Amino acid sequence: MSTLLQKESRMTTACPGSDSIQGLPGNKGDGLERKCSRKPDQKPLKSYGVGDPTAMFSSGSPYLSSRGSVIKWFWDSAEEGYRTYHMDEYDEDENPSGIINLGTSENKLCFDLLSRRVSPSAPLSGIPSSEGLSSWDSLEYSPRRAGCLPRLPRPWSQEAPLCPGDHLSQSDMLQVEPSLLQYPDWRGHLFLREEVARFLSFYCRSPAPLKPENMVVLNGCASLFSALATVLCEAGEAFLIPAPYYGAITQHVYLYGNVRLVSVYLDSEVTGLETRPFQLTVEKLEMALQGANSEGVKVKGLILINPQNPLGDVYSPAELQGYLEFAKRHELHVMVDEVYMLSVFEESVGYRSVLSLERLPDPQRTHVMWATSKDFGMSGLRFGTLYTENRDVATAVASLCRYHGLSGLTQYQMAQLLRDRDWINQVYLPENHARLKAAHTYVSEDLRALGIPFVSRGAGFFIWVDLRKYLPEATFEEEVLLWRRFLENKVLLSFGKAFECKEPGWFRLVFSDKTHRLRLGMQRVRQVLEGQPQVAEDTPPRQIQEPRGPHR
Amino acid sequence: MAFVEQCSSQPAEASGKTQGTSGPSHTPHTPRVPTRDQALRYRSIHTQLMEMVLTLRQTVEDHITQLTTRPQQQDGQAIREQEALLGRLLFQIVSFLPAVAQSFQPPCTSTDSRGDVGGGQPVQTSRQTGQMFYQESDFENTVISYDLSNRGIDISALYHLSFRDYNIYQGNKYHKNKNTLGYINLGTSENKLCTDLLAERLSQSDMTYIDEDLLQYTDWRGQPFLRKEVARFLTFYCKTPEFLDPENVVILNGCPAVFSALAMVLCDPGEAFLVPTPSYGGFAFSTHLYSKVKLIPVHLESQVTEANGYPFQLTVDKLEQALLGAKIEGKKVRGLVLINPQNPLGDVYSQDSMMEYLEFAKKYNLHVIVDEMYMLSVFDEAITFHSVLSMKSLPDPNKTHVIWGTSKDFCISGFRFGALYTHNREVASAMSSFGYLHSISGIAQYKLHQLLQDREWIDNIYLPSYHFRLQEAHRYVTRKLKALKVPFLNRGSGLYVWINLKQYLDPCTFEEELLLHRRFLDHKLILSPGKTFMCKEPGWFRLIFAARPHLLRIAMRRFQQGLVEHKQERRVKQLEDATKEEVSTSQPETPATKAWRQREAPRVLGRGDPAGKAVSAPRPQSAAVAAGGPPLPGPAQAAGRLPFPGFPSGLGGQRWESVSGRQALGAPVPRCGPSCAPCADGPECGCLGPGAPRAQRRRTRPGEDSTQTARPRSLGCRRLQLRQGGAIPALQSRGAPRGLGLEVSLHKSRPCRLAALGSNSHFLPETRSWFFRRALAVLQGPCALPPALAALSRISEAGHVGVRL
Repeated sequence: MSTLLQKESRMTTACPGSDSIQGLPGNKGDGLERKCSRKPDQKPLKSYGVGDPTAMFSSGSPYLSSRGSVIKWFWDSAEEGYRTYHMDEYDEDENPSGIINLGTSENKLCFDLLSRRVSPSAPLSGIPSSEGLSSWDSLEYSPRRAGCLPRLPRPWSQEAPLCPGDHLSQSDMLQVEPSLLQYPDWRGHLFLREEVARFLSFYCRSPAPLKPENMVVLNGCASLFSALATVLCEAGEAFLIPAPYYGAITQHVYLYGNVRLVSVYLDSEVTGLETRPFQLTVEKLEMALQGANSEGVKVKGLILINPQNPLGDVYSPAELQGYLEFAKRHELHVMVDEVYMLSVFEESVGYRSVLSLERLPDPQRTHVMWATSKDFGMSGLRFGTLYTENRDVATAVASLCRYHGLSGLTQYQMAQLLRDRDWINQVYLPENHARLKAAHTYVSEDLRALGIPFVSRGAGFFIWVDLRKYLPEATFEEEVLLWRRFLENKVLLSFGKAFECKEPGWFRLVFSDKTHRLRLGMQRVRQVLEGQPQVAEDTPPRQIQEPRGPHR
Repeated sequence: MAFVEQCSSQPAEASGKTQGTSGPSHTPHTPRVPTRDQALRYRSIHTQLMEMVLTLRQTVEDHITQLTTRPQQQDGQAIREQEALLGRLLFQIVSFLPAVAQSFQPPCTSTDSRGDVGGGQPVQTSRQTGQMFYQESDFENTVISYDLSNRGIDISALYHLSFRDYNIYQGNKYHKNKNTLGYINLGTSENKLCTDLLAERLSQSDMTYIDEDLLQYTDWRGQPFLRKEVARFLTFYCKTPEFLDPENVVILNGCPAVFSALAMVLCDPGEAFLVPTPSYGGFAFSTHLYSKVKLIPVHLESQVTEANGYPFQLTVDKLEQALLGAKIEGKKVRGLVLINPQNPLGDVYSQDSMMEYLEFAKKYNLHVIVDEMYMLSVFDEAITFHSVLSMKSLPDPNKTHVIWGTSKDFCISGFRFGALYTHNREVASAMSSFGYLHSISGIAQYKLHQLLQDREWIDNIYLPSYHFRLQEAHRYVTRKLKALKVPFLNRGSGLYVWINLKQYLDPCTFEEELLLHRRFLDHKLILSPGKTFMCKEPGWFRLIFAARPHLLRIAMRRFQQGLVEHKQERRVKQLEDATKEEVSTSQPETPATKAWRQREAPRVLGRGDPAGKAVSAPRPQSAAVAAGGPPLPGPAQAAGRLPFPGFPSGLGGQRWESVSGRQALGAPVPRCGPSCAPCADGPECGCLGPGAPRAQRRRTRPGEDSTQTARPRSLGCRRLQLRQGGAIPALQSRGAPRGLGLEVSLHKSRPCRLAALGSNSHFLPETRSWFFRRALAVLQGPCALPPALAALSRISEAGHVGVRL
């Protein structure tokens, strides 16, 4: 698979669009409108940015406190696209002209498997038996995989929506113990923490079994970021994070914790030290840290997302070790978000969890997060877990769990699900990976056909697409305009600015959706792009003028 | 009184606005009886004083600004005028002070009572400031971590301080078969009465439905179907005049989360909410952890005065006083938090008084957060609960926010569901930002929806059984309390009774309250002491009765044992203290001890105790069994008749109680005397040696008795056993007079000074054993007792003698 990756990265650099990037190496920082507008004489090669979540905030409210007004503004501004989407959701029958969401990173491919596992006696209405999934038949399924899943009813085939001989005894999900209805141990019920410890020991291939005492269970990784920010930093301090990154973290750490993020800007361009686009290097981390320190921002930690969102990148053990050593040198905490751990669908990628490392440089400052939102396609279930060997941190986070608790019944179901290793290994994971791969192949071929460069390494639910050649000017305004055009054409994508990407024109496209929706979505994307005048290769002069553009 | 009236008319002119605007809120109270009238005026003195101070401050500020801004030449006349005004204002305030001072009466004369017991523990008094429980976290200093931020350390420390008992409980829960020595938790307000009904309802087939949407991200304010259902539910059960709008509902995972987020969006750090106390301690926790919002207690008093119609009554005047007081201190108050039905008092606010509070808030431009958590837990049919949502017109709808959750009313605290209803869209959308951090699982949301929409089950099955069980449990507990002569607030709502154990505290301090609390812990019973509710008066406890019958029965037994033991131990301690003082001053009797003895001694002997309060131990047996008859239906009935193991039935004055010595002595007794240092019991003995201050010594637990007695090397340790209740058969048969039985074991090898017992004690030599000479004594007169006991305890503390009293 590495050949494909190299191919892809070569494609990225070889495509006409990236030629234009290479034409303007001195222009990188200019895309960063806020930085530029504040410090016009800033050296353009700025490799980091201290985030200010409230930079755009304007008006207060008579009813709210000042921080309340900011919080409200978060809600009002951040979810514009989603609100539009929710008002006009695509539905095959009821609203075929509704918006297709290729923006939210959710796995919608395996609902059929899960619904039967989680809730066996669910009315059939919940199972999209023939709806859409049937079309995956056209994609190749190796007979080998079909052979190893004898018990799996094939929901994607029309004739067997539910297999009566399903042996998975799923009545285990229906238990209602009184203790589940009462206040739990706030760290999570012990049975669940034990199960999660076993689960992670196995799937992260940790050298020694993980201990349940080091686990904290709460309602999703968002809460974990919030809690960690609160207990690790004082108000106003900061975490380092390589950008582009999953933008919601900005709010998670800011809302309660009042902690900021210092972006370590990565380049699409491959230079000497790097072997792939947007590669994170220790040098970049060092520079960003120094830069933040020089601005008087105290950095307390480093956030790593592995597999990366939105790049779909995976850090090698050697790279990880390097970042961890860097953090140790500077006494930084490292929060490793491994929420896509089991969504690495290309086996050749060779993903390694940080927990699998033989020896962590600074185990007391390494905190690992995982959740079922992505890997099990259950973002609505709200389950997240922290593993840390630092008891103080675990206890402090647990102290906040009163506010981030998980329903007892859900905890029980979670434990049942994670316990069922047979189902996970033989049914769920192979099937999930096969479907992800098929969908990924479909979208990447589509993009190739359009001549659009992209970054993707075979992990996660998304492809990081380079649409810079479709921007008349390399500005974030143009990026938003293009995004609006997509939205007007009823397809929702995420634009690069939301990930703090410093180069305008990148979009994240989520492919983990059912075929018919994906097809329709890609069709709409194509329509927009075909209607969009491409920027000719000789555009660099125009782009160089860009910093003096009207947006400033 | 004339002076007061005269004075109180002045500030009305001075400040102008108070009287006029606060008038309407007082009108419901306006009495025709002159005394009430005076009381009213008397009451508002504080308020007026505070308003005056505020005016004064304003004037001073104006004055200073004028001084600094005006050009020098003009200043002469104007400034002199202003200074005169300031002088007048100051004079008014000063003339006011005596009147105010009169009305300030400390509710508990604890500091005074310390005087006669002697300054043995000056530590206690110094700690006796009304600090909130989390502020005295010197515990913080013990948590040293380089990895956490300061606030992280603070959060960790606060959590462990406030949830220590809960964590102990989690680690060692009572179980009928598996762990009969485990803790019973009557401290956490958790409803365990109807878990069977809920478990059954939740395992019905309609609960297992699953939909793709439930597993995906949805609306962060809560699934639309659930918000709609909550709006319908509240419309119905709060009897709102209009249908509630689902768009005004925000759903988060639990009411603490709702409150925490609300504090974030309504207050900036350092700003404050007013809270009538005693009040649910979770608020202090929630506001401190994330939002750093302060709570300003509006202290309510247990005493029924003319101003207070009932104990702990909340009045607008008290609110006003607290608010103005906070303003004087420069705090910015953003809101008022009300709990209705009140936790821990169980009060249900009438519509009129609620309206007054709301009007008050409107007047001062405050948000009102009404927590109606126990809305459906009003089990007394005579009481009607009026939700704030049922009011026809709210004084300030945009600043009234209602919190409700299913944790209490539906026995599902583990479900994590809390809802906010607010007419204010801005607040609602700001709250929505927190949906990410406080979200509920989609599956759980579906189940909640199913539960709340099943109105038939709720109305016909759930609520009737729930209320019936609450009534029964309440009746059982209150009967017990009556039998134990423990005063309590008899209210008809909530899961708790607010009980007064002041009589067991001497001196009446929060330290003593904590000791009593620990005593219950020793008996494996968790109650919530009043301090955690920011109660101003020590000695109040909240007792949760929403537990299953068998558990409640055992818990009440432990409660009784704890009380008995505490009382006895306290008496012994007093005796020691009293005589120590007496001996040290080498006077036969100081006036203080004399007074003390006259007051206390009859009680010690179980005589002349008209209230019947002091010696509650031997008596309640029969009463308790009668009261504990068949309170609850079902098989547990028979168990209710089981006698308490610590108290064999029929001991009324005839038999000795079999309370073990260590239990009788309880907590702060060092296990070993100085002769056995280093302690032979090893580290688990817990004895810190003779030099350690009393308060630091570890408490002994009843469970440790058996191991202790099995070891011969602990013989040097003090053993005192209180056995009271009149005659000792063995002595009576030998013609000894009736009195207090005293059994003294003397260590063979050591000299003993039984002479210290005094002349009017009666000794009968008893058996001789290898180690001990035993003597039985009957002490006759009350006069001899305190010094005798003190002497004995001193002897035994020195390891010379084992004494059983």
